[in-house]
Amino acid sequence: MIRLADVHVTFNRGTPMETRALRGIDLHVPKGEFLTVIGSNGAGKSTCLNVIAGLCRAESGSVSVQGQNMTTWPVHRRARHLSRVFQDPKMGTCEDLTILENFALAHARTRPRGLRFAISRDMRDDAAERLRLLGLGLENRLGDKVGLLSGGQRQAVSLLMATTGETRVLLLDEHTAALDPKTGEFVLDLTKTLVRDLGLTAVMVTHSMVQALHTGGRTIMFHRGRIVFDAKGPERDRMQVADLLALFKREQGEELADDSLLLD
Amino acid sequence: MSLYQLFGSLETGFIFGIVALGAYLTFQILDFPDLTVEGSFPLGAAVAAVLIVSVGINPWLATFAAGLAGFLAGFITALLNVRFKILHILAGILVAISLYSINLRIMGGPNKPLLGVDTVFTAFEGLGVRSYIVSPIFLGVFALCLKLALDLLLATGVGISMRAAGVNPAMAEANGVNVGNMKLLGVGLANFLTAIAGALFAQVFGAADAYMGIGVIIVGLASVIVGMSILPSRTIFLATIACIAGAILYRLAVAAALNAGFIGLHASDVQLVTAVLVAIALIAQHSGLPIRRLKRKGGGK
Repeated sequence: MIRLADVHVTFNRGTPMETRALRGIDLHVPKGEFLTVIGSNGAGKSTCLNVIAGLCRAESGSVSVQGQNMTTWPVHRRARHLSRVFQDPKMGTCEDLTILENFALAHARTRPRGLRFAISRDMRDDAAERLRLLGLGLENRLGDKVGLLSGGQRQAVSLLMATTGETRVLLLDEHTAALDPKTGEFVLDLTKTLVRDLGLTAVMVTHSMVQALHTGGRTIMFHRGRIVFDAKGPERDRMQVADLLALFKREQGEELADDSLLLD
Repeated sequence: MSLYQLFGSLETGFIFGIVALGAYLTFQILDFPDLTVEGSFPLGAAVAAVLIVSVGINPWLATFAAGLAGFLAGFITALLNVRFKILHILAGILVAISLYSINLRIMGGPNKPLLGVDTVFTAFEGLGVRSYIVSPIFLGVFALCLKLALDLLLATGVGISMRAAGVNPAMAEANGVNVGNMKLLGVGLANFLTAIAGALFAQVFGAADAYMGIGVIIVGLASVIVGMSILPSRTIFLATIACIAGAILYRLAVAAALNAGFIGLHASDVQLVTAVLVAIALIAQHSGLPIRRLKRKGGGK
């Protein structure tokens, strides 16, 4: 489903600030897999997600999704094949548009936009039905501007929007990090449910080791632009955060000391 | 203020209401401060005047052709920004400056009179109503039609894509919107509207002039700011009404100011008055004192 082959990315090439963000990433995420990605700041996990989404161009190597080589495609062209939820709840929705108009925008991701009215009766019913699942009463506020919603509500709406239409690949960039713990949990549970029910292929970047191990079916860890381990199946099921740290120490010969990684 | 002056203000108010719709589309919807209009307003006037006087085609067609010329001008501005990464304001100035020369070429001189020829207003003559009443009514209907067309456009798939591209380009892209194309289309349409307004202006006042574009952008912007400050603009439908109403209020305010002899203002002071008005409105908004809130407080409950 998602395939990265020998992807390299360097920021600020040729300057003293040169950073080799990705150094030859090979990654295959098969159809229906829910992959979680961890790593400290600057390890390359977000860059990796951005390479898949198209925000960041791979200097060498290739990126393909659903068998389409999209290494050089612009962001908007990739949107037909993959959808994203951002870290910042304000980013995933458009505040000046109503909830329904936001849905209409997401709805048109996989089909051409024309001069027909963006909002149809079917779409209204569909949006209301999906919003009802949240139990937040948003189905009665379709005409409200999204800017009126709270961060958690906006993130839940973003998630529903990202799973609207025929897109089969979902990219999540620390999408619960900016929420309070309770709301974050709500959004994470919603994510698990949607990915499972719709049979999506998903990649979730996270700062929390616990979240990484308890969500989805496979976990990879980035360090200095490389994937330093890759765990799935029974081996991963037995894993605790302590095991993860020990594994990291053995493989890298160094302690993982980074406040930005949540160990609890 | 005499009745004659009132109708005169309505007449120019409706024309600049069309300019305000364009300014709303660029400044508000697309977040693209477009200065091309300084050139596309006289461009519309020049194209329409030459087509009507020298080529002799139907004034309606000539007005539409003027709009197309405006679209092209806006398209080039957006192209300079989107494709060649030139700062939007600078791109607009470049195109507006070049249009100054182009307009002189089109007209073959600094102006082009439109006397004794058929214009879009000719059809309404001889209805037994005085022309100073007919033309504001016609222009009002015309401006409202354009307003409704813009409302409808902004409710289509392309329309909401355009709105999203202006408010949250990253989100729009993630949802498959080609943000660059939306700017090309939106800035083009805004200048289409402005050129139409220029073409109508020339037909009302009987001449196209190379200098008639000076300050148009500020008048358009002033109309949007005045309208949105006074009227509610929660929806697109209300916001576009506010644009046109703002243009009329602005014209009335200018007429009143120039009429009040004791202030000592002359017609030539219009640009200064406009600039000061816009600056005050922006400062008031910037200092966290939205005019709307001030007005509500002053207006009692």
